[in-house]
Amino acid sequence: MAISFKSLSYIYDKDMPYAHKALDNIDLELKEGVITAIIGETGSGKSTLVEHLNALLLPSEGSLEILDYKLIANQKIRFLKPLRKDVGLVFQFSEYQLFEESVLKDVAFGPLNFGYTAQEAQERARRALKLVGISENLYASSPLELSGGQKRRVAIAGIIACDPKIIVLDEPTAGLDPKGAKEMTDLFVSLNKKMNKTIIIVSHDNEMVYNVCDETVVLSRGKVVYAGDTLDLFNDPVKLKEFDLLEPQIVTFRNRLIEKGFKLSREARTLNLLSDEIVRQVRR
Amino acid sequence: MSLIELKEVGYSYNGEQKAVDGISFSIEKGSYTTIIGHNGSGKSTLAKLMAGLLPVQEGSIHIDSLKVCEENMPKIREKLGIVFQNPDNQFIGSTVRDDIAFGLENRLVESEKMEGIIDEYAQKVGLSGFLDYEPQNLSGGQKQRVAIAGILAMKPEIIIFDEATSMLDPKGKKEIKKLMYDLAGGDDITVISITHDIEEVLQSDECVVLNKGKLFMQDKPEKVFAKAELLKKIDLDIPFIEQTRDTFMKKKLKLKAKDLEGMAEELWRYRSNR
Amino acid sequence: MNNLVFGKYIPIDSFMHRLDPRAKLIGLFLMIAAVFIPKSWWAFLMIAVVELIALLLAKIGIRMIAQSFKPMIVMMIFLLVINVLTLHTGELLFMIGSVPVHHDAIFNTLFVVVRLLLMISITTLLTATTKPLDLTLGIEWILKPLEVFRFPTHEIAMMVSIALRFIPTIIEETMRIMNAQKSRGVDFENGSLSQKITSILSLIVPLFSVAFERAYELADAMEARGYVPGAERTRYHILKFHLADYLFILICIAVFAASILSRIFL
Repeated sequence: MAISFKSLSYIYDKDMPYAHKALDNIDLELKEGVITAIIGETGSGKSTLVEHLNALLLPSEGSLEILDYKLIANQKIRFLKPLRKDVGLVFQFSEYQLFEESVLKDVAFGPLNFGYTAQEAQERARRALKLVGISENLYASSPLELSGGQKRRVAIAGIIACDPKIIVLDEPTAGLDPKGAKEMTDLFVSLNKKMNKTIIIVSHDNEMVYNVCDETVVLSRGKVVYAGDTLDLFNDPVKLKEFDLLEPQIVTFRNRLIEKGFKLSREARTLNLLSDEIVRQVRR
Repeated sequence: MSLIELKEVGYSYNGEQKAVDGISFSIEKGSYTTIIGHNGSGKSTLAKLMAGLLPVQEGSIHIDSLKVCEENMPKIREKLGIVFQNPDNQFIGSTVRDDIAFGLENRLVESEKMEGIIDEYAQKVGLSGFLDYEPQNLSGGQKQRVAIAGILAMKPEIIIFDEATSMLDPKGKKEIKKLMYDLAGGDDITVISITHDIEEVLQSDECVVLNKGKLFMQDKPEKVFAKAELLKKIDLDIPFIEQTRDTFMKKKLKLKAKDLEGMAEELWRYRSNR
Repeated sequence: MNNLVFGKYIPIDSFMHRLDPRAKLIGLFLMIAAVFIPKSWWAFLMIAVVELIALLLAKIGIRMIAQSFKPMIVMMIFLLVINVLTLHTGELLFMIGSVPVHHDAIFNTLFVVVRLLLMISITTLLTATTKPLDLTLGIEWILKPLEVFRFPTHEIAMMVSIALRFIPTIIEETMRIMNAQKSRGVDFENGSLSQKITSILSLIVPLFSVAFERAYELADAMEARGYVPGAERTRYHILKFHLADYLFILICIAVFAASILSRIFL
């Protein structure tokens, strides 16, 4: 099953003199089981779009189908909790949602809210913390005393512990140093590959998007201007120009190599894959 | 004597661990210096020490031969401005106009003269049409430009940018970086920028690398990045070209070229020779 | 949160928006006093007409003002019930079951309601057309005489204007944290008392930690730009009365005087 937006619009401050249409008649299908990037300029409607996925916002017009749930404009919904359990949303600067007295308690907070027993919640919290790489000796410390990067990982563990089927991350690497950003990327790739989670990620980092995201959606002024394969998008100079996107450096390099005469597969999307193919051809 | 001189500077927040430890280096007038290092390497602490927002506990900092200390602060404030990371937390006025005016009010500039100064610097940062905008109606990049205008209006010799572009989107980053280059190039302002942005480092005159509170190296950016292996060890990002060199090196293909075109050429030669 | 109209500034340009905040503050006091003086419906009608003209001049829709009345409806019904049950003077109008409804009960309630509505629309008019910062400047000017008693009007004005500047930021922050906690299964509307306490904690603790961080950074930014608390500063904003402001105050005085006269003669 897919996630499908049907003629969905969202209007902020409806009925006010300064009403603002943030999403404009969105028709969009997102695949399950893959990593999808949502990109676009600030103010293009990315955050508004993802806040519909767990019903933090409800469509002003149109509808959204996600898993077995259906959000329809002007209709009350009764399945808020199960939906929010199944679709985990990690906000930008998620480190600012920590509040419990210990790291472990904070991560167990979500599972408890979603009806797991105290023991189950603790177990889930431990597993999630292990997954994000927070060492056991930090479990008892206050989350407010951790470093920025650690806080963010604890916050993400707080969502993973709820065992969502879909994980949505709004700019998870913003403000992290390069090493922290790399670890974060590795984390959600492994959530997708090893635990089969659907990952939707809002990002400004085209290099990262090209390296790991299967699908890409480009938003511009509240409209979807591209939705489809990531490689197709970034290997198409016309589209890059049209959407004002920078060509990833790996694409530039790959094009240079092809000009010289190398035969390179389209799937060589990271430096590692690309160099493997070249080394094979050089040593043949 | 250099414009800024640091000698054995040390600082500790809690009396035990040193955030900044025995750092010495100097910065020339009119240069563009970048300071890089992983999170927690002491970059921001160093910036605050230079700006006099934290007291120097060990060693000394001199700016234009003036020692950075309590009694010299008013004079140093006239020479130096600082732009911080979070655009929201340094927007003091209710509108662009008011925010640029804030520093002028502290400097006792007369009200009648402010209008002209505000217009001049708003234009300089490209915000002439936005004077009456409130912070919530401005993008991150625009807010940072307001911060820069507010500082420029006070005519400093040195501006420190403390990760001023790290919270911005690509468009905002580009805007602010352009402005920073122009300041260092055309306006003879000494720019010190704490950053993670490799592109920016490559375009700077001088690069200072910090690691765990200590000075790791100081050199021209090309020379710093030539030591890719060392930088990787201290969790720093390296330019794509160096990453490429590094990746192929691990696979026993040595590349010497300085750009991607040259590397592609070299690789093709390797292939043709076999 | 977004439906809150009362006290919200509407960022458009109009005659009312351009008036000096001090003139508007003086006008507010005069008009509110005028609302509380008369006992005649004619006086209320006059004030309502003046108010309506002002609203038109401010380009504020009647619908928006009507929205600002919404929170008062429950209170008004409550007032009506109390009055019907306790006031038994005047002509007996009709019976609801065995409860007699008297003339005074209805008319006294109406009186209070009309006064309240007028007062709310006058205040809304002020806040909708005056930027919070200008309002602060106006209040600072009115408090100026207190400086004789070493009352720190300038510092207080600075504090208030920074607080006002950060209200939208903090509201945004609050919404974000609420959304983040909702995503972790927090239900801010329902739940037992202990659940409610936890949900509020999950909002308050992060909010405070962010607010403190902001405060420290803001303090650094202010200090770096040469601010020294209590030190002498010049002011960029110097309020100036224009002809329109004098005219506006004059009209308000006229309304005020008319309402006094109505009390005496009608």
